Amino acid sequence: MTSIYNFKRIAPVPDSTDFLDIVLSKTQRKTPTVIHPGYKITRIRQFYMRKVKFTQETFDEKLRQILEEFPVLDNVHPFYADLMNVLYDKDHYKLALGQINTAKHLIDAVGKDYLRLLKFGDSLYRCKQLKRAALGRMATIMKRQKDSLSYLEQVRQHLARLPSIDPNTRTLIVCGYPNVGKSSFMNKVTRADVDVQPYAFTTKSLFVGHMDYKYLRWQVIDTPGILDHPLEERNTIEMQSITALAHLRAAVLFFVDLSEQCGYSIQDQMSLFASIKPLFANKPTLLVVSKTDVCTLDDVRPEERRLVEAACDQGVEMSQLSSYLDTGVMETRDLACDKLLLQRVEMKLKGNKVNSVLNKLNVAQPGRRDTVDRPACIPTAVLEHRNTRMETDAAERPMLERELEAIHGGPGVYNVDLKKRYMLASDEWRHDIIPEIMNGKNVADFIDPDIEEKLAELEREEERLAAEGLYDSPDDSDDEEERRIRDVARRIRQRKQIIASEARVKDVNRATLTNKQKAAASAPEDFVNHLQQLGLDPETAMSTAQRIGRKRGRSESRDPAVLMARSSSVAARAVSTQRDRSTMGLKNARQKSVSDKKKLVSQRQMNLMARAGESDRKIGMKMPKHLVTGKRSIGTNDRR
Amino acid sequence: MPQNEYIEESIRRHGRRLDHDERKRKKEARKVHKDAAFAQKVHGLKAKLYNKKRHNEKIQMKKTLKMHDEKNAKQKTDDAVPEGAVPAYLLDREGQQRAKVLSNMLKQKRKEKAGKWNVPLPKVRGIAEDEMFRVVKTGKSKTKSWKRMVTKPTFVGDGFTRKPPKYERFIRPMALRYKKANVTHPELKATFQLPIIGVKKNPQSPMYTQLGVLTKGTIIEVNVAELGLVTTGGKVLWGKYAQITNNPENDGCINALLLV
Repeated sequence: MTSIYNFKRIAPVPDSTDFLDIVLSKTQRKTPTVIHPGYKITRIRQFYMRKVKFTQETFDEKLRQILEEFPVLDNVHPFYADLMNVLYDKDHYKLALGQINTAKHLIDAVGKDYLRLLKFGDSLYRCKQLKRAALGRMATIMKRQKDSLSYLEQVRQHLARLPSIDPNTRTLIVCGYPNVGKSSFMNKVTRADVDVQPYAFTTKSLFVGHMDYKYLRWQVIDTPGILDHPLEERNTIEMQSITALAHLRAAVLFFVDLSEQCGYSIQDQMSLFASIKPLFANKPTLLVVSKTDVCTLDDVRPEERRLVEAACDQGVEMSQLSSYLDTGVMETRDLACDKLLLQRVEMKLKGNKVNSVLNKLNVAQPGRRDTVDRPACIPTAVLEHRNTRMETDAAERPMLERELEAIHGGPGVYNVDLKKRYMLASDEWRHDIIPEIMNGKNVADFIDPDIEEKLAELEREEERLAAEGLYDSPDDSDDEEERRIRDVARRIRQRKQIIASEARVKDVNRATLTNKQKAAASAPEDFVNHLQQLGLDPETAMSTAQRIGRKRGRSESRDPAVLMARSSSVAARAVSTQRDRSTMGLKNARQKSVSDKKKLVSQRQMNLMARAGESDRKIGMKMPKHLVTGKRSIGTNDRR
Repeated sequence: MPQNEYIEESIRRHGRRLDHDERKRKKEARKVHKDAAFAQKVHGLKAKLYNKKRHNEKIQMKKTLKMHDEKNAKQKTDDAVPEGAVPAYLLDREGQQRAKVLSNMLKQKRKEKAGKWNVPLPKVRGIAEDEMFRVVKTGKSKTKSWKRMVTKPTFVGDGFTRKPPKYERFIRPMALRYKKANVTHPELKATFQLPIIGVKKNPQSPMYTQLGVLTKGTIIEVNVAELGLVTTGGKVLWGKYAQITNNPENDGCINALLLV
């Protein structure tokens, strides 16, 4: 359950200079910035009016946000209203918000006035001066809010750090003199990590912690210690406790330290209890005697004991606990919770809301049909078993797994027999090996039973072969052919290295020949040399080069007469003519005519505009001077 | 769920990180460099704002330094010759005086002299009619242009009733009518917002006086009853003249100096 009072979302309040910077720079960013005296005066006026209006609206918006976000004391729960009054002083708070509100109205008025004046602006200079004056006056108003703004910022920071106490939920309030063990109890029952120290007023403000009891979420409030003096003399720290006691409907745990280790006598503590008793009216109250490890109720003097016991009347119950020894802590908590729960239920029953719920409830109980007695039917076997079980002692009952483990070597050694209780058709099957199935086949079926033996046989053979020297490396590297190949390879590698290092040092900024020019400049001999350098045979390469690079020309065998004779005999070139692309992809002549028409239509506009194609978007001269000047708009007269 | 002073609590319980002080010192030491870098980088409106701020800070710093300096600086004075019998080796010593001796009274006097408004504005800028008036076109086809609208702030008395439009040559717009002026008393050095009684004289032209135009240099009559001034005879003064010292059309308010 979340608290409805969340003060953590209030936006930070900037101080007055920051406020101005924010608003003015926003104006600068969000309104146009370029204006010239040559513009139309209406435009100039509009430019400056916009600036003034925008600034005023920005101020308005920011101030309104502050006013809306800060809680109004009259609208929050009385607990929070009172707490804020104690911490921040109600008058001061209201005054600060009121001043902000006034500033907002003043700024609005200034904006309105200057907009009216700007309507009569007749020059850029005047408009600008009026704008300056307007923004200046707004800034002055804002500067006067310096103190209010800084106060509100402090309040905001403090509010955000207040514990989120839900005033309406189930609550336990821990109170009492300083240093009696309130915070220790709080730390025991909840996860809240409240500071506990052996001196008074360690807790200086309210702390809230949460716990679960009976599947419900409870909040526990730890309060600062209170001393026994009149309300007017109480300081801010004590007043926080009083506020919590006064406004929260909760169970009150009043802590008493009988050992007087806290530095206050039992009489003092009991008189405090008596004086703040009006605050406990209609609240389940518990008088908690703490630090019982040091001193219990039996140890104190009889008159003091009588004092303590006298306090436990009319609904006040006593409980003893020791947070140090952890005795009585949970009992105290449960007692308080039960009392509060009971009271809350009673309250609900008294209210008028409960009827709407009760009307819907109906607990039906069947009436007796006849006088025949129908007891529960228990089979005799069960009864017998139950009886025997009563008789058998611990030795005869089945062993626990834990005991089995202890017998068979303890944890880490003993393996739990998971198959022991399998329910199969026959108990003997329990420990059978479960076949491994893969792709619907039993894996075991595919295992050669002799595989181990065969492997051993293979290994033996391998050993034998190795002993005979089958795997020794052959010692025939003196082969002539191979030596030559190795030599060539070595030279190639060297050459490659040289090329690489040359490339690395090559001056790239020098003008170089293009590949084409290089090719033109090189002769076949260079190619041969190059190949020889590489250690390759230039023979075949040369012959190929000569064959390809042979100059085309008319050979002796192809004289014109022969050619003529041949051409007349051959009819035409059959295959290599190109197909007409305009008919490609079209089925017949009709389709072609349709597509031609479409093409004409699509090109019509382009032709009209004298465009070269779709992509021609040139805009030529619109009004050629020699065609336009000296002509009247209507008529044919071309004289001036 | 953090509540109350949880940050301080955490520091108290667990302490700060070990290099906290070192980091803090370094951050502080780097700040000047960072500021310098920012000052060089920043441009545009931000630069303007930043430089203004920095400028003010520097002035303030210099002033403080100067104050400290003044305390220590020794100045020569002629008149402060040591009295009584002086040994020979001290005879050529001139009297010494601390700079601070420039007495508060002298400073006060200087200030007063600077702030004394004994001469009101003797000269004003001439304002042409076309700056003063805007032509309002009338007639069915907006061809007539005999009507004028005053574009400067004006004072219009309480009893004024507009003439019928046909006879109304000059319009004084409601938005530009003023009833109050911020009047400074030169001797009291205090400013009061006083109601205007009337326009005594507009130096531009008698017509403007008649129309009640408020421009810089105009002499107006203000109601000083609020100030509780009394004549030598013991009568309570309530009307006094004042001269307008600002351009009301540019500022949207009227600042005036009381003529005493």
